[in-house]
Amino acid sequence: MPLSIFYFLAVAGINILMSWSLYLPYRVQQLHFMTVANMTISGYIGAYAALNWGWPFAAVLLLGVLLGALVGFVTSFAIGDAPAFAVVIVGFTFIYITKTIVENMDAFGGTMGLFGIPKIAATPGGHRWIMFAVIYASVIVVGALIHRFDTSRLGRATSAIFVDKNLAATFGVDVKKMGMGLQTAASAIGGLCGVLYAFTMRSLFPEFFTFHYIGIAMTMLFIGGYTTQWGVLLSVPILWGLPFLLPESVQSWRIVIYGVLLVVILLIKPEGIVTRPLIRRVGTLLGARKRAS
Amino acid sequence: MEVFIAQFMNGLSLGSIYVLLVTGFNLLLLVAMIIHFSYPQVVVFSMYISWVALRFTNNSIVVGVVAGIVSAIALNVVLAPLFQQVMRKRGHVDINATMVISLAIGMIITDILSHEFNSGFPIAFPENVRGDEELFGFGLIHISRGQVLSLLVGVVVVSAFFWLLYRTKYGRAFRAIAEDPDNARLVGIPIFQTGLLSYALTGLLGGLTAVLLSVLLGSASPGLGEAVAHKVLAVSIIAGLGNLVGGLVIGLALGILEAMVQGFITGTWSNAIAFVVLLVVILARPRGVFGMKL
Repeated sequence: MPLSIFYFLAVAGINILMSWSLYLPYRVQQLHFMTVANMTISGYIGAYAALNWGWPFAAVLLLGVLLGALVGFVTSFAIGDAPAFAVVIVGFTFIYITKTIVENMDAFGGTMGLFGIPKIAATPGGHRWIMFAVIYASVIVVGALIHRFDTSRLGRATSAIFVDKNLAATFGVDVKKMGMGLQTAASAIGGLCGVLYAFTMRSLFPEFFTFHYIGIAMTMLFIGGYTTQWGVLLSVPILWGLPFLLPESVQSWRIVIYGVLLVVILLIKPEGIVTRPLIRRVGTLLGARKRAS
Repeated sequence: MEVFIAQFMNGLSLGSIYVLLVTGFNLLLLVAMIIHFSYPQVVVFSMYISWVALRFTNNSIVVGVVAGIVSAIALNVVLAPLFQQVMRKRGHVDINATMVISLAIGMIITDILSHEFNSGFPIAFPENVRGDEELFGFGLIHISRGQVLSLLVGVVVVSAFFWLLYRTKYGRAFRAIAEDPDNARLVGIPIFQTGLLSYALTGLLGGLTAVLLSVLLGSASPGLGEAVAHKVLAVSIIAGLGNLVGGLVIGLALGILEAMVQGFITGTWSNAIAFVVLLVVILARPRGVFGMKL
């Protein structure tokens, strides 16, 4: 697989997972940007474990997910049912703190970053194919789990919380436990993405895990549509690929383009491109065709 | 002890800037019902406009100040319809949606600043604007012109703002909308005009803050808005969203905390310590120390 295609597909896969990590807590109206901090923590500690302790990739991947889940779970005790803006600021603060720690630790390469993360196959080509397979297997597994959740009783409960938190609580939904569960799951996905990103790029830079990355993941979620998990499958490849199709002079304006698109979509189609009614219409259409054939 | 006093003075001047920013932020939250997360980016944008005006007018301070204030008011008022349109689309007050749109506006402003001004490099304000000239010195205690100016202007502006809010007709209208928008409309308060006035007023506060920041820091970078935005939202949450008095107390407290940490702990860890304190308080009291006023 050519290097450019690999990077495009691998990062697109990771962006899909990161957008889902924002999608899950947003089911209860929480913008849980802490997942970017989880990505940093798991990515750096995972890369350190592989470089210095010789841990195999599978063990590092497991460590990353568990670490993400643990940090998310502990924090969720305080912000499981907190207002959205409090959750946002906790996310930002975590990002600033982890970035400062990483930048000040020689073991993590300081501001220069961490290099030489080992390949997981003997050849570069083999490494790419395995990483590609692992990333998209993760997308399928996480996607299936989210779909299962969305269509379950718990998923309907989160929809109730999204519409009216107090009403949902009146009907017996435990708003705090639901928020805690979703934040923990989102942080675990963030941790997974950290390890996948570290082994894809084979280097980590603190400057990557900042406000800019939040902006990218958030744009992909809100343009794709935050009411279903399917929107990001459409928005990520388009938005991630869009700058590559534009002239070189325009490519550096990627963040401005994302920002403008996000503002426009919020103005004209607040729920994003792929909405629940659209999914239902597509489902009905496909069902009708199946019956006709 | 000298270090303590010196850092306390530094903290007060920095805190007065936070107070100005949090006051503007809270006014928009109370009257226009928006979380204007990109408000500090608007302030940094005005600093850049002021810098451009200074360059073209051979460092004329009057033009620089006017350019900073006018650009902040103009940008804030221009953004108003975007926020109102999002609200209208949703049919109800949706603070989350306004926060997302504001984050997007912040992304756009920051990226434009890093592309179009000074090739993305930090800008430095000319000597006659920078307030690092010492007015008073005793041992380790050095009081600069910028510190005195920011503290004085901060006190005057915030006092004037509170007078406007609690002693004038417009202030009553602001408070009525903040208490109950539907009843405020019923008694004949023009919601749209009052909302627009709150955008203009916060623009004015933002412009003044931009001028003070230029004097106090003497430089600016595209990323400054993001760092300040984070702190403003943190102060606002710790104080209790929409709580103006709480914002005043916590804004000053954050300025003093930051200065103390920088005075007694060397290196880049100082910023992280301030953030850890913020995080602990937010985790302990996610709805604010003084209570939300929404």
